[in-house]
Amino acid sequence: MRLLSSALVTLLTLTTFSFASSSSVLVVLDPSLDRENYSIFFGGLEKRGYNLTFRAPKDTSPAITDYGVPNYDHVILFAPDTKSYAQDITPQSLVGLLSENTNLLIALSPKQTPLTSLAAEFSLILPPPETPLISHHPARSEPQTTIPVTVSSSSPILTSGIPPVWFTGAPHALGSTPMLVPILRAPAESFAADSTSDADSDALVTASEKGGEGLWAGSQMGLVTGFQTNVNSRVVFAGGVKMFSDEYATKELPSGGPPGNALFVTDVAAWVFQAKLKLRIDGVDHHRVGESEAPKMYTTNDEIVYTAHISAYDSETSTWKPYSGIDDLQLEFTMLDPHIRTSLLPVSGSPGTYQVQFRAPDRHGVFKFVLNWKRKGYSYLESSTTVPVVPPRHDQYPRFLSAAWPYYAGAISTSAGFFLFAALWLAGDVKGERKKGSKVE
Amino acid sequence: MPAAYPLPSDLSPVTVANTASLLRIIALALISGAAIASRLFAVINFESIIHEFDPWFNYRATKVLASQGFYEFWNWFDPTACGVIYNLLHALNLPVDIRNICVLLAPGFSALTAWATYMFTKEMKDESAGLLAAAFIGIVPGYISRSVAGSYDNEAIAIFLLMFTFFAWIKALKQGSAFWGTIAAVFYFYMVAAWGGYAFITNMIPLHALVLMLMGRFTGRLYVAYSSWYAIGTLSSMQVPFVGFQPVRTSEHMAALGVFGLLQIVAFGQLVRAHVSSKQFQELLLAAVISLGLIGFFGIVGLTYKGWIAPWTGRFYSLWDTGYAKKYIPIIASVSEHQPTAWPSFFMDLHFLIFLFPAGVVMCFRTLRDEHIFVIIYAVVASYFAGVMVRLMLTLTPVVCVSAAVALSSLMDTYLDPTEPSVEDDKSETSTTHSTGTASASRPATPATSKKTKKNKEKEKEAAASAGGVLSELVSNVTSSAAAAKSATTTERGVFGMDTRLVVLLNSLGLLLFFVVHCTWVTSNAYSSPSVVLSSTSSDGGKNLIDDFREAYHWLRQNTAEDAVVMSWWDYGYQIAGMADRPTLVDNNTWNNTHIATVGKAMSSPEDIAYPILRKHDVSYVLIIFGGLIGYSGDDINKFLWMVRIAQGVWPDEIQEPNYFNRGEYRVDSEASPAMRDSLMYKMSYYRFAELFGGQQPMDRVRGQHVPIQGPTLDYLEEAYTSENWIVRIYEVKKDDVLGRDLKIANAFNQGKKRKRTKPMSRRKAIGA
Repeated sequence: MRLLSSALVTLLTLTTFSFASSSSVLVVLDPSLDRENYSIFFGGLEKRGYNLTFRAPKDTSPAITDYGVPNYDHVILFAPDTKSYAQDITPQSLVGLLSENTNLLIALSPKQTPLTSLAAEFSLILPPPETPLISHHPARSEPQTTIPVTVSSSSPILTSGIPPVWFTGAPHALGSTPMLVPILRAPAESFAADSTSDADSDALVTASEKGGEGLWAGSQMGLVTGFQTNVNSRVVFAGGVKMFSDEYATKELPSGGPPGNALFVTDVAAWVFQAKLKLRIDGVDHHRVGESEAPKMYTTNDEIVYTAHISAYDSETSTWKPYSGIDDLQLEFTMLDPHIRTSLLPVSGSPGTYQVQFRAPDRHGVFKFVLNWKRKGYSYLESSTTVPVVPPRHDQYPRFLSAAWPYYAGAISTSAGFFLFAALWLAGDVKGERKKGSKVE
Repeated sequence: MPAAYPLPSDLSPVTVANTASLLRIIALALISGAAIASRLFAVINFESIIHEFDPWFNYRATKVLASQGFYEFWNWFDPTACGVIYNLLHALNLPVDIRNICVLLAPGFSALTAWATYMFTKEMKDESAGLLAAAFIGIVPGYISRSVAGSYDNEAIAIFLLMFTFFAWIKALKQGSAFWGTIAAVFYFYMVAAWGGYAFITNMIPLHALVLMLMGRFTGRLYVAYSSWYAIGTLSSMQVPFVGFQPVRTSEHMAALGVFGLLQIVAFGQLVRAHVSSKQFQELLLAAVISLGLIGFFGIVGLTYKGWIAPWTGRFYSLWDTGYAKKYIPIIASVSEHQPTAWPSFFMDLHFLIFLFPAGVVMCFRTLRDEHIFVIIYAVVASYFAGVMVRLMLTLTPVVCVSAAVALSSLMDTYLDPTEPSVEDDKSETSTTHSTGTASASRPATPATSKKTKKNKEKEKEAAASAGGVLSELVSNVTSSAAAAKSATTTERGVFGMDTRLVVLLNSLGLLLFFVVHCTWVTSNAYSSPSVVLSSTSSDGGKNLIDDFREAYHWLRQNTAEDAVVMSWWDYGYQIAGMADRPTLVDNNTWNNTHIATVGKAMSSPEDIAYPILRKHDVSYVLIIFGGLIGYSGDDINKFLWMVRIAQGVWPDEIQEPNYFNRGEYRVDSEASPAMRDSLMYKMSYYRFAELFGGQQPMDRVRGQHVPIQGPTLDYLEEAYTSENWIVRIYEVKKDDVLGRDLKIANAFNQGKKRKRTKPMSRRKAIGA
């Protein structure tokens, strides 16, 4: 009884503090940005159970890491104009945080700061300093650097139907790394220019010619871009910090209606803080058809069943739930190169289970079952299981081959002949035996 | 009959025979003891470990055999005696560590080899020659080099099997016995299972049979012996998984098959001849036999061309053309054991036996029975092979021991024989014997000689009597020598007085003593240092042990993931697998040349080319041997050119040997060629080497060259472990960068270097307004 009640209590606690898997967040906030101006964003985070700790860029405490171990699960870096930081915040230490599975949300600005060189490591290409994004469309009363950006709903990170969001800041071009996850693109008619006052197409042309720079214009530029590292930690670079502010969250759009800022930043924060699109492989197993245990080694041409169990993180309940939503999962059976590549489809009726049956190739060697599923926005799924594939054992070959009948016939006839000979020999007369015996000598 | 010294005459023949056999047993036991004891230097000086590079594989195989049983093992590899012994001892409730069995197996088998050699030589001459041969093979360095305690190598067993197979073959041939033929086949089978060099037997015995047939010595005995050996031996050898159908498919085995066929034809011819007496018919038959043989020969050639029979392997060609391997299969030439033998090593391995050896072969010509022909063929073939490959010195050693023993024992027989020639015709005779006596006087005697003297005296007479009969029949164009003098007991020739006898005998004794001293010295100094433990002597005579290999392997075992793949040059593959228990990319048993070439390419390429190779093969660690600090010359930089050559064989466009030379010189100092300096091997070897010298110019003690102060840098690997004397250096292959960057860029970033600004790819040009 007591056990049951305690279990119930635990369950209750779990549901109540569902978000509060007590994720700690360090917010490095520049003093010039008043915390009150971002109350909607921060308040929303706190409401969802994140413990926020605030600190100025030049403060030395609280430290981000102690003895190389990160103190926080996530770090928000809202100091876009800060030129100098305390010693523990350097581009190198921030990359170090990422490799320790801490997630980063970083706001950039048109100014040249240490973060500019950090962004380059993520293959984000920033325009020259002091070239903010400018757009003259749509017609509006706000300055040309304050732009309503239409949100594309193609990214799985964002909930669909978010109204345009207000944006002020610098754009960036995206490098070739496939780990980049574009979240918000610049409007097609926008461009980056170094004069905020009276920028027009001339400014665009001079900017593009200056110093042999490329063309900083159009929807190829990103405004908010995510990046998922090899260890599945996430980082988001936002071109400006103002889009998180209360002001932009409430400012009415030129077309009328409330902007999507509040919803947008919530989605972005949910993704970067690993509350969304988080998948994992619970386990894989493999065995021969008709068996259930994984054998120590496979024989060539065995029929193999391979099963993977995948679940997704549900932030509402802080639990992992079986996930069958992947329809392009592939399994490779590899020895240096894939010998077999087959799609690994979800099993209907058994959530989270993906299974395939295939025949081992007629090659022996050390093979690997390789799962490698990398899609923008989702956690990377990687699994590799090494199994030896051996040729048949000496007693596993077929016993009687039709092709070998001449040999069988030979063996049998020789045996029969010997028997016959022995019989004749024994039955023969003594004289003949004498003679033969001497001949053998 | 005059005698040089009196013999006791009151002994009954039974007593004499009993004493002789007792002494023989004691002598054999002592020889076995000496054979085992002299191989234990390594264990006494160091400890009971398996120390060569190859044997680790056998050790692991044995562990499988012991733990998983014979049938499991059958699927794996060749069976060895060790697992059987292990199980036997455990069945007797003697809990012996399997490692100790493996370590002591080779010495144990050497005792058996001595016995087998005794039996073999006994068939050649007599027991006394047998005992001498046993003593020789027991301590001769040429064989010890392969069978010291701890070299748990197949070859240690193989020589015993070789000798016993040959003994059984001779026995079978002499008696025409299918039983002995079968025994020869059984041991041949074991040999096939144990050693790849079994092809030697596969070709020796047919060659012997063929020569006998060509000499017109075809007999029913030969037919029975050869047929039983070939049929049973081939069938059983085909059961060995490694061999499979090779006996009927490869050229190496074709000689045996061809001789078998020829033998059938000849036997049939004999049968027909026995029934038909016409001379013309016989000639016709002869022609038919020859043409049939030719048809068979060309048939084999044709089949080879059609691909039904595999042509000779590269190893085989390299036996005939010593330059072949270097040109076409550098992998074979890269093994130091496969180099041609240097002349001094003949003396080093065989000492004075090498001088007695030709004399023994000549003796075999004098009594040219079937088995002597065998020894002659064996001697010729093995001498050639030993000259071509250092490794094959091993096969030469037994025949050297046998024929040297025959020669020495003949000498002894002559000079120990107390009978003196009758005085009438002494003038002419003494002069001849004297000259021959001095000619063959440079022959030694062993401590065992004193023992043998007694029984030799007795045996001489019967031996002489039997030999005399044969001699009179056979042509003996070699006039000198002891046996002849002895055979003529009617004192046409002989030795007068004690003084000549003593001069020759003491001389021989002295040589034998020197032989023993030499063997002991060579064994203790040259062949008993395990290659995993090096020792050096300091200036005050103290001994330093350099145990870097085991230190590093232990580090691997303790600090790396169990499935972490270690890449190293293949020499160390077995050791890493055995001592560190980690999988390796290539090892000593790797037959796939491309694999080895892959490692060679990775080692000889610049880092950024090597890295994808390493990652593709899941390599976690790279292990290299570097001797530059303490002057260990067997290191990887010295083997490096072989890696380059082997890699060049597969990727001639990417790796070129001349690039690693600077104007024809192989250098590692500041004059080293760019390809050399960029190669992974060079970088790993000299990484941080300069730091040891504190600003001084670093010195590579193996190459004797000054290495640049500014050492190489590594981006894709990081140093994981370096052993005490820097002999073993282990590098960890870095994982992919967490941000997916190139590791070189990531490193530059970590060191705080400014990155060059990148620009977006402009897809559109701005149109000026």
